[in-house]
Amino acid sequence: MNLNQLTLAQAKEGLAQKKFSSSELVSACLDQIKKTEPQLNSFVTVFEKEALDQAKNADLSKPLGGIPLAVKDNFLTQGQRTTASSKVLDQYLAHYDATTIERLKSAGAIIIGKTNMDAWAHGSSTETSDYGSTKNPWNINHLPGGSSGGSAAAIAADQAIISVGSETAGSIRQPASWCGVVGFKPSYGRVSRYGVIAMKSSTDSPGPICKTVDDAATLLEIMSGADHHDATSISEASWVRPVKLASLQGLKIGLPLSYFPPQIQPEVKSSILAAVETLKKLGAEIIELPDVLDPKYSIAVYTILQRSEVSSNLARFDGIRYGHDRSFFGQEAKRRIMLGTYSLSSGYYDAYYTKAQKVRTLICQDFDRQFQKVDAIIGPVSPSTALPIGASEGQAMFGEIQDMLVEPSSIAGLPGISIPCGFDQNNLPVGLQIITPQKREDLVYQIAKLFEDNTEYHLQRPKL
Amino acid sequence: MASQITDDQFQHIAKLSRLEIKPEENFIKDQLSQAAEYVDVLKELNTDNTPPTFQVNHKTTVLRDDAITPSFTQEQALSQAPSSQNGYFKTSATIKK
Repeated sequence: MNLNQLTLAQAKEGLAQKKFSSSELVSACLDQIKKTEPQLNSFVTVFEKEALDQAKNADLSKPLGGIPLAVKDNFLTQGQRTTASSKVLDQYLAHYDATTIERLKSAGAIIIGKTNMDAWAHGSSTETSDYGSTKNPWNINHLPGGSSGGSAAAIAADQAIISVGSETAGSIRQPASWCGVVGFKPSYGRVSRYGVIAMKSSTDSPGPICKTVDDAATLLEIMSGADHHDATSISEASWVRPVKLASLQGLKIGLPLSYFPPQIQPEVKSSILAAVETLKKLGAEIIELPDVLDPKYSIAVYTILQRSEVSSNLARFDGIRYGHDRSFFGQEAKRRIMLGTYSLSSGYYDAYYTKAQKVRTLICQDFDRQFQKVDAIIGPVSPSTALPIGASEGQAMFGEIQDMLVEPSSIAGLPGISIPCGFDQNNLPVGLQIITPQKREDLVYQIAKLFEDNTEYHLQRPKL
Repeated sequence: MASQITDDQFQHIAKLSRLEIKPEENFIKDQLSQAAEYVDVLKELNTDNTPPTFQVNHKTTVLRDDAITPSFTQEQALSQAPSSQNGYFKTSATIKK
């Protein structure tokens, strides 16, 4: 096994026992990037020299001391190129570190590069990136998902040991699902948004994408916690993972029937139903939920609110203080800004924006009702496995349809995770999502960890 | 809800958005109409007595101490500006002489 193939837990152990150095670990990842990047295009920028320099002085006593980290390119990293995969910010060197980056750096992580994404995180494919699509490591003719597609591909391809992404409605879980890795989306406000280029501020949630549930939990412990720079951050100290459960005895897990839409790929459905059997064997009681609000309403709510917030958030890019002017926006951003401007404009505000905010209340209430009956909800992350390159082109609602099963929980600010739970006949991964009430990441972790410990899907790696 | 976006509306939205739409990008108008039509599905749900949720943590009026903390130097703030003069951001004129 090459060093770049190690999990975070294995890498930490090896470093502590002096089996190898941080320099060797960073070099192994950089070698893998050199070897696979021409095919995959996971990164917008790689910091080879800086990463190697930092590795020489790595402080191994820190929780992430000497560990190579891949960062989605919408996190500001001080003095380093930060583009959000848009030409508007092609040469932008970040003025400061995002809170999350500050915390990961303080924990000793070494940023090896900035990963590709849909431009401004607008999409679920990485095909809207101004720097070309990332390819799925399991099959380079397929999409990695998105918007954090570069981070998910980098982890699947062992180009880095750990990575961070951000989710607004699926952007961590969906690419994690399509790339066969673990994506942990925390409760809204659990991780600070400060310094993450704003997309839809009322649901933006930074979180880890890693090789195992425990690796993701380690990152979440470091990334989480109140931040005075983000007024919506939860006023609690850092999240700490709970003890592992011996079984799921006594836990009720809900299966929403509406999360199996007619167009679902049969192998996705069969993988999820197999996961249900595993969870039953582990002691969980599975309860079918026949009356969960149809995800089609979440698609509409998300479409209105996302465009509205985007039109406001992207108004700041005027090319005066930093970056290029507005003529550098790609078509996807233009389309979203314009629909948002329309829905917020005089005469339409109540019909679109206010209506969507009211339906958001109904979605939250629906989850409250379901969580009276069950402790957690599971389902497929995506109706399909990774779609072929080009699938998103010319489709104004591609992302919304792909993310229909993760949008409701994002809109309600709930925590969730995607973990590998199977493969289709073309050997493309399937992801299982676990959703809990707000601030119950402990339960997400416990169910995901026990499932992972009793399955082997996460141990399979793509052949590159 | 008016689902079909007219040419005039489209031009007006582009102006409000400060975006220049090239003739070959006019298809965006139809895509906006399609999206506006799609979201009509929300009409199926009665929200007469439902309050809006702007964000789920329901925090309001979060205040910080009114204290001076370290911030960017003028040099740092201007470091990425395409054009500056005498320590200021330089913009094109917005008021005619």
